[in-house]
Amino acid sequence: MEFLQYHFLAFWAWFVGLFTVTPGWMTFGGWVAAGLTICLFSFLYKDNPFFKVAEHLYLGAGMGWLFQVYLFQTWKPKVFIPLMEGQFSVIIPTLLGLSLVTQFFPRISWISRYGFTFIMGYGSGLVIPMEISTNFLRQIGGSISPFIGATGPWDLFNGALVAFGFICVLFYFFFSVEHKGAVKKASNVGIYFLMLYFGAAFGNTVMGRFSLLYGRFDDLYKYSDASYFYATHVVLGLLIAYFVLDKLFLSKKDGGQEPAH
Amino acid sequence: MTNNKLTFLFLAAAIAAAGTGTADAAEKKAALPPLTGFTAADMPGDAGGAALLRWNSPGEAAEGAVIEVHASDPAKPGWVKIKEFPAAGNLEKDMDMPFWAWRPVPGRHAVTADTTSSFGRPAAAQELEFKLRLVKGGSSVETEPVKASIGGNWFNASRLNNLVLMLTIIIVFFWTVSHAKRKGLFIRRIAGLDAIDEAIGRATEMGRPIFYSTGIGPMSLVPTIASTSILGEVARKVAQYDTSLKVPHFDPIVMTVCKEVVKQSYLEMERPDSYRDDINFFVSQDQFSYAASVDAMIHREKPAACFFIGHFMAESLLLAEVGATTGAIQIAGTEQESQLPFFFTSCDYTLIGEELYAAGAYLSKEPMLTSTLKVQDFGKAFVMLAVVAGAILIAAGAMFDLDSLSKVVTQLFKAY
Repeated sequence: MEFLQYHFLAFWAWFVGLFTVTPGWMTFGGWVAAGLTICLFSFLYKDNPFFKVAEHLYLGAGMGWLFQVYLFQTWKPKVFIPLMEGQFSVIIPTLLGLSLVTQFFPRISWISRYGFTFIMGYGSGLVIPMEISTNFLRQIGGSISPFIGATGPWDLFNGALVAFGFICVLFYFFFSVEHKGAVKKASNVGIYFLMLYFGAAFGNTVMGRFSLLYGRFDDLYKYSDASYFYATHVVLGLLIAYFVLDKLFLSKKDGGQEPAH
Repeated sequence: MTNNKLTFLFLAAAIAAAGTGTADAAEKKAALPPLTGFTAADMPGDAGGAALLRWNSPGEAAEGAVIEVHASDPAKPGWVKIKEFPAAGNLEKDMDMPFWAWRPVPGRHAVTADTTSSFGRPAAAQELEFKLRLVKGGSSVETEPVKASIGGNWFNASRLNNLVLMLTIIIVFFWTVSHAKRKGLFIRRIAGLDAIDEAIGRATEMGRPIFYSTGIGPMSLVPTIASTSILGEVARKVAQYDTSLKVPHFDPIVMTVCKEVVKQSYLEMERPDSYRDDINFFVSQDQFSYAASVDAMIHREKPAACFFIGHFMAESLLLAEVGATTGAIQIAGTEQESQLPFFFTSCDYTLIGEELYAAGAYLSKEPMLTSTLKVQDFGKAFVMLAVVAGAILIAAGAMFDLDSLSKVVTQLFKAY
């Protein structure tokens, strides 16, 4: 028994040691990061096996990550620990949640309807007052707020413009009234206000996306350093070589058509 | 001897000076007025863990002083300071509560003391002791401890406006349902929804699949619910034309609901033989893994039509752009304003916000659903009128110095 215990502890020490962050691991991490980034970017040119590898790895890693998140942030603190502490009331929501799993077994899949019914009812109960609060009260309050403390004609004009634009946009979303005459004119003005907003939102979001792109480029630049053995350059070079070879030899065989999956 | 005399005189002078200091401090301490009329009670309309403390104004003598709120659990020794604020502030009239739920008394102060960080939020009501300490410089005066039983409340009177509005909507809904059943309701044309037939017809002619994404929202989101409703209508037509439909999912619960919806549509069109369980399939619950995977599927299978209807975030452009490169006819719809511009640029038709909610009614023409559109329009008309009336009343209040009028209007349309 002691012999087994000794070997288990030795194995565990070796295993944990594998994951100690060393310069070697950092370099390896740099190669993986640069490789996966470039493989995913390669989709911009065309679909290829390297993209498929990165895509499936991303999918699997994402699900693996989420599994442990659910396990340690939901199941353990909200089910396991309360049950260990004798709070048996958590059994009811747990059973409702587990009822969804019966979908995998056609003969008892009807049980899952109890879980879904609860989710739908609970969701509606939560959403309805929230929607009234957000879409009615906050919207009205926000539209009239520029008039509070308005000190001059400019403030009043500002408040009136916001309210006018808002009302015109609402006219566009009238469904049970035919859009003709004054309603059509108001809804057309509303479209202009909408487009102004969408233009601003577009610019704002694009700026955000560019900052994400810079982040990736920054990493690729970092991994192109000699300390990472020129990971970015090597991976990029290999990928370009593959595409050249593919263009010259492989694509010609199947007429350049990508197989359907 | 002379030295001893000097030492004695020095000590006597020091003691006399110290005595004067103590007398000054006592005078200062006495200068701080006592806090009178202190009461502690459960905070009305909260989820528990907060107490409402009220006291009389300490007057001008307390200018520059601060008030500390101390709380204690009678079962455990010691006091915990939970709040500190200037003594002159926190008048009852400044409490963030509407006029129908709060009657301020002039000259009284009130504060909400949240005890959750120090004493937690037990399921049952909890009895705690509170006391106030008025502090200025080195002096302070305290109130006598007051006990209060604090716990959660079933009804929040501050949200009465929300309840009244909801009840009004429910009444209008029942009225419109009966009206729609008797006389029918008009619905204006929505181009994006008219294009659904065109998209499905194109897919049938080309013999290519249709991709339908419900987005990344959970089942509790209204756009997701609207999306499942549109999916039902799309599935009916797909079943009728015997076209291939693929619905990749982000959320397993949404997937299960969609399975039932699609199955029902196939049954209603009397095509149960064409229904397959793998029409709806789970991809990933990680946002960008989902986007990468669905992108790859769209790129490889080259669908004739793509529907992106539901709650979308950053993956909206990733999905719609790949769909556009394959030449598919694309119909999108989301409530997310920040994502709509991306759908505008890469899709053939885009349902903007409310149009998405109208889709189910528009496609099915069922009286129950069309009446919901009428209720929505009623809501919009109410909002319009409220904005116009509110703006006029507030402007009038500002013009004629009627602060109370502005306050009443603001509180009526405030979400508490």
